[in-house]
Amino acid sequence: MKITELTLGILTAVGGFVDVSELVFMAQAGSRFQYALVWVIVVATVGMMVFGEMSGRVAAIAKQPVFNMMRHRLGLNLGLVTLIASLISNTITCAAEIGGVGIVLHLLTGFGLVPMAIAATFVFVATIWLLPFKWIERTYGLLGLFMVVFAVALVAIEPPWGEIVKGLVPQVPAGLSTTELLTYGYFAVAIVSAVMFPYESYFYSSGAIEEKWSEKDLGLNRLTTTVGFGLGSLLGIAILASSAQLFGPQGISPELPGTTALEAAIPFGRVGLLLALLGMLFAIAGAAIETCLSNAYSISQFFGWRWGRHLKPHQAPRFTFAWLAVFAIALAIVLTGIEPVALAEYAVVASILVLPLTYLPILLLAGDRSYMREHANGRIAKTLGWAYYALIVVAALGALPLYLLTEGGKL
Amino acid sequence: MTIGRVRLLTQLRDVQIVDRDDRDCGIVDDVELQGGPGEGLRVTAILVGPGAYRARLPRWAMRLVALIAGDRMVRVPWGEVAYISSTVQLAQTAQAYGLAEAEERARRLLPGIGGIDAPQ
Repeated sequence: MKITELTLGILTAVGGFVDVSELVFMAQAGSRFQYALVWVIVVATVGMMVFGEMSGRVAAIAKQPVFNMMRHRLGLNLGLVTLIASLISNTITCAAEIGGVGIVLHLLTGFGLVPMAIAATFVFVATIWLLPFKWIERTYGLLGLFMVVFAVALVAIEPPWGEIVKGLVPQVPAGLSTTELLTYGYFAVAIVSAVMFPYESYFYSSGAIEEKWSEKDLGLNRLTTTVGFGLGSLLGIAILASSAQLFGPQGISPELPGTTALEAAIPFGRVGLLLALLGMLFAIAGAAIETCLSNAYSISQFFGWRWGRHLKPHQAPRFTFAWLAVFAIALAIVLTGIEPVALAEYAVVASILVLPLTYLPILLLAGDRSYMREHANGRIAKTLGWAYYALIVVAALGALPLYLLTEGGKL
Repeated sequence: MTIGRVRLLTQLRDVQIVDRDDRDCGIVDDVELQGGPGEGLRVTAILVGPGAYRARLPRWAMRLVALIAGDRMVRVPWGEVAYISSTVQLAQTAQAYGLAEAEERARRLLPGIGGIDAPQ
């Protein structure tokens, strides 16, 4: 097994796990509730590992991308509802990522957010147009590893490790008012959504099919979903814990990605700030590309078009037009002037509503012996899969009321 | 080509179609059946393209689909189905059935450049 093959997992973990929503919600959660939401990151990450592993396994054995099986298993009507819902949520997410890249470039260069967002979108288009899938994943995945500075910064500020470990235990902090309890619930749901974004499984399974995974890649699949997503999870915990240590006691609410970058600037000065901003830039940019391609994959798979980045743009023309259109619409949303942070909040709420529809066909197909033969879900995968499915259904039901009752966690 | 009994809902409808060269060329969006009262039903063709959704979707949804993917429909005679597995494979190329027209139209709008081959 080649080490470089692990970059698919690293890209998904770093570019997908740590995106603009992640930065916004993890930092705010740490500032407001200290370490009390660390356990939610862990629980959600294990859920992402479970469903990521299943979608990779299904791609390797049944050779079925998510939206092909979605339509086959859910039928045309429900499949179409899922397609439209996921297109909306992914496009909002893509807009949030483009806006996030615009903010980071603005901080790095001093140029305005809007011109930077436009320039970034052109770079993304050129990247997808020109580079093979493997190069895209390596470029953004490896450069996104600058995000490791957040983990190193956490060690440098010498946080109360005991408190962080206590945060691993599922809990509801004592002494919260009803409003604070609702806000705590909102942040818990938002973290589950941000970690388990539906585009991650679309992108992951489509990437596995692009790379022609087969039975022999099942070990690689297991490794990338556990090590790759686990790495992303540690970065998320580091961002939350640093925020709890640095911002919470000062009453600072780190709503902007730039504030989160200060977590590395405080212990390491300008170098830390630069590394944090570069890491954020490539991680968010990777997520922008993933969300955009996920939409193009979804549409193409639903209608049975030729698709894939292994083909040249003119060899899969409708797929090419699909991702070009997604970037154009996402950029147009950014140009309306909606704050990228607000877009990240909308993306998280929209995504959790789609999650139950996204994961049901994966769960059903991964357990279907007629497709998966001896690689169908065993007892552990089945139990974990249905337990997590129940969890995301509960989170989906609670998301909208919690968002409205807490005004997006601002109460 | 003769294909025996087929489970329409699980083995045929909404399944990916590939042509002779293994190129994706649509989904089995509906099937055309022939038969009468007291007779057995026989599949006479597969219907490919969003135009085949008319009988399966409400009108508002059909409009939305037409906006994204058009409303064309192509009828492929059942005898052209080579075999059925996790995909439905056709005996000829997509062009032979008119399944590549939308793809060709879109291709003409794109420059033929781009896409560097990754070194092995």
